[in-house]
Amino acid sequence: MLADFNFRIIFEYLPLFLTGLRSTFFISGVSIMLALVTGTIACACRISSIKMLKYPAIAYIEVIRSTPLLVQIYFLYFGLPTLGIRVPEIQTGIIALMLNSGAYIAEIIRAGITSVDDGQIEAGVSSGLNYFQRMRFIILPQALGATVPPLLGQSIVLVKDSALLSLISVMELTRCGQTMTSERFMPTEAFLTVAFFYMCIYFCLKSLADWSQKKLIFREAY
Amino acid sequence: MIEFKHVNKWFGKLHVLDDINLDIDPGEVLVICGPSGSGKSTLIRCINRLEPIQEGEIIVDGVPVHDKKTNLTKLRADIGFVFQQFHLYPHMTVLQNVMLAPVNVKKMSAAAAEEIAREKLTQVGLTDKAGAYPIQLSGGQQQRVAIARGLAMSPKIMLFDEPTSALDPEMIGEVLDVMVNLVSEGMTMCVVTHEMGFARKVADRVLFMDFGKIIETGRPDEFFDNPQTHRAADFISKILTH
Repeated sequence: MLADFNFRIIFEYLPLFLTGLRSTFFISGVSIMLALVTGTIACACRISSIKMLKYPAIAYIEVIRSTPLLVQIYFLYFGLPTLGIRVPEIQTGIIALMLNSGAYIAEIIRAGITSVDDGQIEAGVSSGLNYFQRMRFIILPQALGATVPPLLGQSIVLVKDSALLSLISVMELTRCGQTMTSERFMPTEAFLTVAFFYMCIYFCLKSLADWSQKKLIFREAY
Repeated sequence: MIEFKHVNKWFGKLHVLDDINLDIDPGEVLVICGPSGSGKSTLIRCINRLEPIQEGEIIVDGVPVHDKKTNLTKLRADIGFVFQQFHLYPHMTVLQNVMLAPVNVKKMSAAAAEEIAREKLTQVGLTDKAGAYPIQLSGGQQQRVAIARGLAMSPKIMLFDEPTSALDPEMIGEVLDVMVNLVSEGMTMCVVTHEMGFARKVADRVLFMDFGKIIETGRPDEFFDNPQTHRAADFISKILTH
């Protein structure tokens, strides 16, 4: 069966795939950074007791989590120009991934914060520490350790989700597969290669997650 | 020092504190006992406003605790609280645990706070554990660190919420010794506990609660040997026979 595959064509298209890989790296990297910022802000608003902050944050998180990413991408891709905002596809894509992952990251961080035992907060309260001091010295140091593995998991999801940007003609890894398919009509070889590259990214991130988990467990057991 | 005036508190429909009136003098050691769910923990948690109250007034050292204008930071800095489950900060060393509030609430320099922290750790007999993490310590040692953490703020009052209930029997003594030591220094203390030996030895007054009410108060010997109410007698017989 493997003999039926044309491996030469893969090497012929390798430069294209490598630019696609670079593009996927770039899009995912920028998106995850922006999503971390978005998620942190959204989480801060979500756990705030100020209703003006809390309810918009809840609305944002729920809307994102209840709708498919592809719909969100199309909405931004077709919606932004009608609002008079014209940005290149790649930026539309990054905004979509940022908003999407941001909502999930907000919930990941919130879960980390709520996982800190109430007794810790009470101990801080009864020592006279104020809200920000408790957050900074007691809650966040304990919460953030617990969020590292799920955040890396979310990064893995984001990398794979970035494949959807091929549908708004962003030249990333999956789009390269589509290009090769349309030029040579060899979809099997094309998407086998695409899948291989995604797997490479996945295993890098996964070993990072495993390493960080060991590191964290080690620190807890000290 | 601490004054309860007609304090009422409800958890939903449950009347957890039912018209509590209580006066605690400076330097007094008050032991609070009663069956589980009787409101004794809630009572002391209201003193530093870990819990809100719905009616009445609590005055600590002249300050109305549940007044909106009260400076809670200052109030809480003057009241040490020791929990049943210790609640040490697991990501900090023993020394950092004890230093955190003096540095951040009292705005002490790190050097001054460390000096006090080491002094308090010596007082609870844990000088050599300053660099350890809580998880490396036994329950008794953790609770002594928690006491040192409270003392580092030089509080006027120390509150203890069942400080020995989560400990293995052989560790109870070391924690009680530290507390007895505190009594001899003249600290004002409210202790929720069923350690009768401790109560007999150091308490000025024992307070027995049930269903959110103060059922009986008295000197420890009188209370344990000759309880005035049927309910207190029943309770004492139960904790004695196990």
